[in-house]
Amino acid sequence: MRLDWSVVWQNAPALAEGTLLTVVLTVVTMLIAVPAGIVLAMMRLSGLRLLSGASAAYVEFFRNLPLILVVYWAYYVMPVAVGVQLSGFVTGLVALCLNVSAYNSETFRAGIGSIRKGQTEAALALGMSRWQVMREIVLPQAARRVLPVLASTWVSLFKDTSLVSVIAVGELAYTAMRIRSQTFRVLEMLTAMAAIYWALGYPQAKLVDWLHRKFPVSE
Amino acid sequence: MSAPPVLTYREVRKLFGSFVALGGVSMQVERGQVMCLIGPSGSGKSTLLRCTNGLETIDGGEILLDGVALARDERGLRDMRRRMGMVFQNFELFPHRTVLANVALGPRIVLRMDEAAARERAEALLEKVGLADKAGGYPANLSGGQQQRVAIARALAMEPEVMLFDEPTSALDPETIGEVLTVMKRLAEEGMTMIVVTHEMTFARRVADWVVVFERGLILEQGPPAQIFEAPHVERTREFLSHLGWEG
Amino acid sequence: MDIDLSPLLLSWQYLADGLGVTLLLSLLTVVCSLVLGFAIGLARCYGPAWLSWPLVFYIDSMRAIPVLVVLVWTYFAVPILTGLTLPPFWAALVALTLHIAAYVAEIVRAGIGSVRPGQTRAALALGFSRAQTVREVVLPQSVVRMLPAFGSIISIAIKDTAIAAVIAVPEYMKQSETVAGQSFHPFEVFTVAAIIYFIILFPITRLVDMIYVRLAHLGRS
Repeated sequence: MRLDWSVVWQNAPALAEGTLLTVVLTVVTMLIAVPAGIVLAMMRLSGLRLLSGASAAYVEFFRNLPLILVVYWAYYVMPVAVGVQLSGFVTGLVALCLNVSAYNSETFRAGIGSIRKGQTEAALALGMSRWQVMREIVLPQAARRVLPVLASTWVSLFKDTSLVSVIAVGELAYTAMRIRSQTFRVLEMLTAMAAIYWALGYPQAKLVDWLHRKFPVSE
Repeated sequence: MSAPPVLTYREVRKLFGSFVALGGVSMQVERGQVMCLIGPSGSGKSTLLRCTNGLETIDGGEILLDGVALARDERGLRDMRRRMGMVFQNFELFPHRTVLANVALGPRIVLRMDEAAARERAEALLEKVGLADKAGGYPANLSGGQQQRVAIARALAMEPEVMLFDEPTSALDPETIGEVLTVMKRLAEEGMTMIVVTHEMTFARRVADWVVVFERGLILEQGPPAQIFEAPHVERTREFLSHLGWEG
Repeated sequence: MDIDLSPLLLSWQYLADGLGVTLLLSLLTVVCSLVLGFAIGLARCYGPAWLSWPLVFYIDSMRAIPVLVVLVWTYFAVPILTGLTLPPFWAALVALTLHIAAYVAEIVRAGIGSVRPGQTRAALALGFSRAQTVREVVLPQSVVRMLPAFGSIISIAIKDTAIAAVIAVPEYMKQSETVAGQSFHPFEVFTVAAIIYFIILFPITRLVDMIYVRLAHLGRS
């Protein structure tokens, strides 16, 4: 068994690009899925049956599907539905956003729901509108509880971006496996891929632990 | 000679499922009057208070603020709520804001006052309730009595026409009850219209202008404190009071 | 857009076989990862100190590395490293077990940690041995708290088996992919796949939610 690790250094720029795309996918997905999650949560918590039901159905749907299936499904369905051939990146992004916003919705629902009713009543009694109550009183308090969970979701998302490799989006997993196919250096490239994910993911996981310690759930 | 009553209740009914919380309550609150609502738990006194500022919707009858029926739409209700201040049993200060910010929040957000003016008003009110030195602290660092006094200041910051107190001292340690009642007494002396749901009979006897006794969603008896506490017209009132250990 | 379900009807046997593989792989993964994860969790809580750091390293590594990467590495890299060739199904089982066992180990650790230390002290004071204390006092109380998380393990395992498609395990996702590619009707094939997965997963997540609510009623001790 002859190992040639130089293939990793030779392809470092490509791997760096792949890593960058992984990070971009994660960041952009969260930028979309966090507000989307808040909207979905508020729909669910509103008294209106139609909004509440729609939100619940959406969340149940995406919680109960493998993400890889959503990626494939988006890839084949979106061109037909939208009429335009979207890039793999956008398709992957859509699949990730749909999935993560469902989980964020549950996170925000729990966070908002954990704020005592009396807080809302006190704010209403002052004459605040429902939206002002959310903005000034409920969401700031819910944010504390929501933050550690969002951080965990972030780390999961970071790993899940690897799934869009199946539709040839050039993030880290795809890039590493492509180089493997081209150079036939299987062990070296796959180990490098694992090592890079590890190097990025390990500190993130530790950060999440720290956040859970700093913002414990206490009443 | 009289101005219209601040609040008028006509045959107010409220149901929770099949439970009749209010079975047709009628009464009036005059300007400058201090009205105490007393009665056993579950008799409807808190419910009536919460219906007054729309935290609960009524199922029958009507409630009039200055002769105008309570709005049913969010916007109208908000406008009416600005004219009523409410103090809750659990204080419900906003834990993520300082004491001063709590008091200034209403004027800033709802009355759209600018920062400086809102802060000035808040500082004056904290001074009034004796907590000017706690302005920069957070509610979590205050005792129950102190928190409730801040809550009163917060409600007063909106310059309401009437103050609603929902068992303001029920969640307090006996030592701190006094400081809150003192603030309320001073408010009364200054002519604030107040409706107080309370179990503090001594306060009701000394400070109230009018006492309403509730039982099972209906008014058992109402009148000046001297009547209710010394010479009630209804036997049940006497029973209820002696139950509480009130020596007539 | 015309909907043509005929490729599905023609290949239904092929797809059904795939579903069988999905369910089998899921079941075996759940069993193996529960056993392994439990062992690791217990070792973390009660094992010797020198064992702690390698186990923590393993657990944190599995939190950092995607399932896809573990699957691919197990199937392609292990043979090169060890000369041992695993068929796709078994490679997937190993990879998924290793990945999920880390999660189980954390659940076990959290569950055991949530039992009041006073319970352990009381048992030891009564003369229980350490093993007896864990078996009779700590575990029974902690297992109840772990149940909802174990429930979601089942859900996660089923969803992760779909990723095994990338190493050509003939489970349902892979079979759907093949049929979709050959029939040029990906929309119908993947939509049916979505429905099938939903039908399998929905009752499980529902059940887990209900268990969470039930436990909230019991409250924390």
